[in-house]
Amino acid sequence: MKENKRQLQKNSTRKRIIEAAVNEFAVNGLTTTRTADIARKAGVSHGTIFAHFHTQEELLTAVIEDVGERINTRLHEIAGGQKGFSLALKAHIEVLMEFEPFYTRLVIENRLLPKEARDTLLMLQSTVSFHLSQAIQKEVEEGSIKKLPEDMVFNGWIGLVHYYMANSDLFSPEGTVLKKCGEKMIKFYLDMVTCKNKREDD
Amino acid sequence: MKKCIACGMPMQEISDYALGDESKDYCKFCARPDGTMQSYEEKLDSLTNFIIKTQGLDKMAANSAAEAMMKKLPAWKNI
Repeated sequence: MKENKRQLQKNSTRKRIIEAAVNEFAVNGLTTTRTADIARKAGVSHGTIFAHFHTQEELLTAVIEDVGERINTRLHEIAGGQKGFSLALKAHIEVLMEFEPFYTRLVIENRLLPKEARDTLLMLQSTVSFHLSQAIQKEVEEGSIKKLPEDMVFNGWIGLVHYYMANSDLFSPEGTVLKKCGEKMIKFYLDMVTCKNKREDD
Repeated sequence: MKKCIACGMPMQEISDYALGDESKDYCKFCARPDGTMQSYEEKLDSLTNFIIKTQGLDKMAANSAAEAMMKKLPAWKNI
């Protein structure tokens, strides 16, 4: 369907608001950012925001959805197909790094968010868990990775990554914690799940 | 690139499509063995189980999350 000029303009304003919101949320928090500040950064009037999103909650959900969609697409690009578990972990870290400030807020404020926003985050995690479980399956069959409960394999990894992100001020006060500790996390995690000696592990 | 109308998965390879048929709008995970698309109840059930298996959520929480996910997808918008 071809969009008319008015529709195109509407979409571009919406995109601008979302872009500004991603940055404002990352700096000032998901639950504490004022819509007036987002409007100013997006260069639109305060009323325009509410012409696009009825409530602040709706805006927040749309932003999480948008970032989630971008993370998913990138993850699919980098880790799609049969590329191995270690590469899937690397891809996950790499993709999160692209959205690190916003995603860190998401991790810290998760429990405070409205249900719809949390469901959206869960949807994102489902895609991640799907990629990881696809990647790990083959290697478990080959015997190079231990056969462990799938949920714990996923939660173990997510728990590690989220813990470092939530406490990034302690691990990496001056910059991105994923850049500083990402490789260490991947190596440690791989060591944990890899079979050192196949026979003994059987 | 198409996205599965029933679960949202991007379908990149031909093998991602139901029965490897690119003209279909849904993926292999949303198809029954005969190639037809699963019903709402079937998909809700399998998605709930997938979330429990891969993320370890409580059954009720997983069911509610699966419902929320499906509400956003074209195949289930009007249900």
